[in-house]
Amino acid sequence: MQHLRARHCIVGIGETEYSRASGRSTRALGVEAVRLAIMDAGLTPRDIDGMLSYHSNDSTPSVAIAADLGIRLNTYADVIGGGSSTEGLVAYAMGLLEVGLCHAVVIFRAMNGYSEFRIGGTGARAATPVRGLELADRPYGMLSAGQRFAPVFMRHMYEYGTTSAQVAHVKAAHSRHAAANPKALVRTPVTVEEVLASRWVVKPLHLLDCCLETDNATALVVTSADRARDGRHPPVRILAAAGRVNRDRPDYFYQGRFTTVAGVHARELVFPAAGIGPEDVDVTGAYDAFTFTAMLQLEAFGFCEQGAGGQYVSSGAIELGGRRPNNTSGGHLCEGYTHGMSMVIENVRQLRGTVDDYCARAAQGVHTYDYRPGGCRQVRDARIAMNMGWATPATGSALILGSHRV
Amino acid sequence: MALIVPETDSEWHGYFQAAREGRLVIRRCADCRRLRYPPGAGCPWCASLAWTWATVSGRGTIHSYVIVVQAIQPGFRDWAPYPVVLVELDEQRGEPTPDDGVRLVANLVTPDFQPEPEERVAIGARVEVCFQRIGPDSVLPQFRLTGEPPAARLWQLPG
Repeated sequence: MQHLRARHCIVGIGETEYSRASGRSTRALGVEAVRLAIMDAGLTPRDIDGMLSYHSNDSTPSVAIAADLGIRLNTYADVIGGGSSTEGLVAYAMGLLEVGLCHAVVIFRAMNGYSEFRIGGTGARAATPVRGLELADRPYGMLSAGQRFAPVFMRHMYEYGTTSAQVAHVKAAHSRHAAANPKALVRTPVTVEEVLASRWVVKPLHLLDCCLETDNATALVVTSADRARDGRHPPVRILAAAGRVNRDRPDYFYQGRFTTVAGVHARELVFPAAGIGPEDVDVTGAYDAFTFTAMLQLEAFGFCEQGAGGQYVSSGAIELGGRRPNNTSGGHLCEGYTHGMSMVIENVRQLRGTVDDYCARAAQGVHTYDYRPGGCRQVRDARIAMNMGWATPATGSALILGSHRV
Repeated sequence: MALIVPETDSEWHGYFQAAREGRLVIRRCADCRRLRYPPGAGCPWCASLAWTWATVSGRGTIHSYVIVVQAIQPGFRDWAPYPVVLVELDEQRGEPTPDDGVRLVANLVTPDFQPEPEERVAIGARVEVCFQRIGPDSVLPQFRLTGEPPAARLWQLPG
């Protein structure tokens, strides 16, 4: 894949408000986000000829969005999937551009993840029929993502001595990041002690170990490096993308190494393709469906040794001002829940140097680098960013982006 | 606890039929002889489509667990807090690679099929299958503690 390095760019980003009561259809949300992304790219709807989205039977298809904006498509696909789909669809978009089927591709996710289909599994999701793999766990009262993923964290604690307090640092760090994000749904900083004192949802997970549920839509525009030169913003180069990548077996409970996640395979694809290693990455977007999922991803992708994830996330490295900040927007734990797209959007902003924090001239790329709450969240001289998508322990994805100076 | 487990997936018919007869069965490849769970249509080790049901001992070790405090499904609200355990069976442990084993999700239950209290749930604890009648024609394999010495270092979530 190395021959594809920097041949494609993300040139537009768009997002709606993050809320718990959008009062609008996923169609209306999706149209707004896609329209904003196209405008951000300096394009018009007529310039878009490809569209990709992902959903869990909880969204609006591409043809509806395209119809509302007067977009005529050469190809589109609405794939079933949640987390880790964004990075995978970026790789698909690169393929569509390479074979000449499209000139500019929009990727979107639109969801009423609180007011309509609650991601936590209550409401409409709890009423779906039990069949297939679900016969192996739902009859035992195991349904939500937290219930299904947490055994991996428990076993990680058993094998490596990882602690709840260590991963609580993920929430504490992301909450301070969100305090510099005017769009974040929850902007109040919390401490490690407050995470550990919050009520249990499913042991070992406290309430504050779990991400938010929100209504929102998000979108990206991907085009070739040649076309990206005419954009409104400095292009953000795609150095490598892979997804959705599986671990040994997708039914992760039942066979194989229990405490590793799909990143151990994804990293073999993206680092050689990008021509970099983990040490070259300035800012990360490790998927924080839960505090511990960010920890497992950072470990699997080699930002620390296997088993040292707890030490890494509690070392200060993942905080603004640290060695390699993670989810500077506040991520799914604090900004809002988008199945990963928002974390890619944030990394695009970081690489442009125009993160929308509280700095007075943020849009012009002028930042204070004062990371106290209510201040700055721009990483100084961010050149390479990496997203690590998560669907389950066994399914993930990766995206490495470079600024226009890379 | 009232629970309906609709057997709408034909791959599982033999599994639940055996449970009604008080047996735990696991799908076994008729060619390479390896066990696999959940009951898939093909063998993940040799891609054979030929299989049989193998009755297993139902004895194993807790590989990991969670304690559900806030039940999501309405039928489990009165049951919480309850443990969900991942049991690694004695059969085929460490095969075909050292990281593999046959693992099942279940609840850890008392002899009268109530959820075991958290203090009695631990990674490494020895367990055996038991069969819980959950409806007129529905039986669910569950696991209970055997009291044997632990198979591995015992570990519980601190606090």
